[in-house]
Amino acid sequence: MAISTTWESENNSLTIQMDDKFDYSKVQEFRQAYVETPAQPEEILIDLTATQYMDSSALGMLLNMQKYFSDKGVNYKIVNSRPQVARILKISRFDKKFDIS
Amino acid sequence: MRILIVDDESLNRTLLHHILEEEGYKDCIEARDGYEALKLATQFSPDLVLLDVMMPGMNGFEVAPKLKSLYKGSYLPIIFITALDDRESLIKCLEVGGDDFVSKPFDRLILAAKIRAHSRIRLLSKRVDKQNQELLGFRRKVDREHTIVEHIFSNAIVNNQTVSRFFDYKVSPAATFNGDVFLCEANPGGGLYFMVGDFTGHGLASAIGALPVTRTFHALALKGVSICEMAYVLNEMLLQLLPPDMFFAAILVEVDASGTRLSIWNGGMPQMLLKSEAGELVRKFPSKHMALGILEQSEFDRECDVFDAQQGDQLFVCTDGLMEITNAEGKMLDEEGLERWYFASPHVTAEHLYQQARAYLGEAEPHDDMTIAIYRATPLYELKETIQLSTTPFEIMMILTSEDLKKDQALEALLDMINSQPGLNWIRSDLFTVLTEIFNNSLEHGLLNLDSRVKRSPEGFITYYEQREQRLAELEGGFINIVTIYSPEKKTLTIIVKDSGKGFDIENVKMPQLTSSSGRGVQLVKELCESVEYSEGGTKVTLVMKI
Repeated sequence: MAISTTWESENNSLTIQMDDKFDYSKVQEFRQAYVETPAQPEEILIDLTATQYMDSSALGMLLNMQKYFSDKGVNYKIVNSRPQVARILKISRFDKKFDIS
Repeated sequence: MRILIVDDESLNRTLLHHILEEEGYKDCIEARDGYEALKLATQFSPDLVLLDVMMPGMNGFEVAPKLKSLYKGSYLPIIFITALDDRESLIKCLEVGGDDFVSKPFDRLILAAKIRAHSRIRLLSKRVDKQNQELLGFRRKVDREHTIVEHIFSNAIVNNQTVSRFFDYKVSPAATFNGDVFLCEANPGGGLYFMVGDFTGHGLASAIGALPVTRTFHALALKGVSICEMAYVLNEMLLQLLPPDMFFAAILVEVDASGTRLSIWNGGMPQMLLKSEAGELVRKFPSKHMALGILEQSEFDRECDVFDAQQGDQLFVCTDGLMEITNAEGKMLDEEGLERWYFASPHVTAEHLYQQARAYLGEAEPHDDMTIAIYRATPLYELKETIQLSTTPFEIMMILTSEDLKKDQALEALLDMINSQPGLNWIRSDLFTVLTEIFNNSLEHGLLNLDSRVKRSPEGFITYYEQREQRLAELEGGFINIVTIYSPEKKTLTIIVKDSGKGFDIENVKMPQLTSSSGRGVQLVKELCESVEYSEGGTKVTLVMKI
C-alpha cells in the first residue's frame, strides 16, 4: 500500500490517507501529496485509519507541512488515529497544533 | 435376447422354440412347469417369458407374479400363451402381472411382432436400470467426498469462542456448504475484527473460497493490520484465485478496545445498520466499494468509514440471502422490510429474525445462504487477558555492518522476530517507534554525522533526508549492534543499541520545543519506555520496555 490523496474542489479540501507506516521512508511521498494540489488547500485531513507505526520523523513531516503553508490559514485535521498512534501524537503534544480525532 | 418358454406340453415348447429360432432368437430355454420356470429364471435371468396358462401344479396366473418379483426394479415382459379366449381370462392374464397374450394356435407373425415390441421395452428398461446403478454409485461417491470436505470445513472454519461470544449471530446455509462467511478474531493490539461475506452463488463451489479467506483473515488479524489493509490483501488473493465470474462481497469491521470505535469497509454487501440501545436508527453504512476479487490492485479503494458509537449500540449486518426471501404471494422482503423487522423493538435477536424469515417463507425453502450477525458495543479490554504471553526467554543479537545498514531491512527483520512471539505484538506499535528512534539516532548522528539543524526549514527537512540517503550509500566501515532481551519473568523487553560513532554529550540533551524539527524522538522514547539510559559517551543506550 502507499499514500493516496483525495481532492475536493468544492471546499478545497485535501485528504491524505497514510498507509500502515508513517516513518522516515515516507518523507518524499508525503511532501508530494500536498505540494501538488489543484488549488491552495483550505483544509488538510490526514487520515490515519491504516497507520499502526509512527516515528518522530512523521511528526517532523507534519510540522514541516504546516511550515510550508504558513500564514495561509489552512485548517489541519488528523483523523481516525488508532489508540497507539494517538498516544504518540499526545505525548508530543500535537493536539495543540492539530485537530486530532 | 434370452427367452424362457414355459409350457407343460413338449410339442408346444418345440414349436415355439422352432418359431423363435427362425425369427433369430437363438438363446431360448425351456421349462416344463411353474417350478422349473422359477428355477431357470433365477439361474439364467431371461429377458422375456412366454408363459402357458393351463399347467399342472402351479398355473400361469400363479407363476407370473412370482417371476415379476424376481426382477425388482427392471422390466421383465411376460407374454401369456393361452387357448382360452373368454374376456375374463384374457383380462386376468394382464391383472396378475402379464404384459400381453397370444392365443393358440399361434399366429407366427403376431407372436414375432409382439416379442420385438416387448424386447424394445426390455432393452430400454435395462438401460435405465444401468444408468440408475451408475447414478447411485456416483451419488455414494459424492456423498463420501462431501463428508470429507465437510469435516475439513468444520475444522478449518472455526471462530475463537472468546471472541465470538461478543456476537449474536445466526448462520444458515441453503445447501450443505455455506457460501457465506462469518469470522471474528481478537486484535493483538486490543479490540477485535469481524467479517461477514458472501461468495457468488451457494453450495460447495462458493464455499470452497471460504478456506483461503479464513486463513488469510486469521493471519492478518494476528498481525494486527488495519481493516483497509485486510481488504486490500484479501482482494489481491481472491483476484488471483477466483474465476472471473465469481467474487466475494464482504464487510470488514474493526472494533477498538473500548468497543465503540468502528472502522468499516463495506464492499458489495447490504447496508449495515447501527441501532441505539433505545432502538433508534443511529446510522446506516451502505456499500461504498465493489466486492472483493474484482478490481485490480491499482483500482482498489481501501477507504473506510470510521464511526464512534455509544456503549450498548448494536451493529447489525446480514447477507442478501435474508433480504431476498419471498413469501407465498411472491413479495420479496427487501431492505425496507428487513429494517422494519430490525427496528420493531430495541432488542431483536439474530435467532428471532431467522425464525421470522422462516415464517415469511412459509413452505418454501430459502434459495440462498442467510447470515445474520449483531455486535453490541461493549468494552473489550478482557480480550487482552486471553492473549498468552510467551514463557520462553530469548536474546537476539544483531551486528549490523555498513553493508547491512545499506540494505535497510534489519529493523523490519528484528520487529518480525519479536512480534512473532505470542503476546509480544501487543506492544508492536510502541516497539516500532522506540526501535526506529534509537536506531535512526545511531545511524543518522552516530554514523552519518547528520546535523539536525538542517531540518529547521521546510526545504532543509527534505535536504536532511536526501543527505541521509547519500551518506548511507557512501558509508564505509562502522557498525550498529542491537541486543534485544526478553524476560517473561519480569515481563520486560530490554533493548541495547551500541554504535561506532563519536557519541554525544549525555548531560546536554534538552527537552525540545514543540515547534522544533528535532529532538522529539528522545522525548517519545522516554515516554514509551520504563527506563532509558545512555552510557559510553552516548554511543550506547539501554532501554527497558514493560509488556
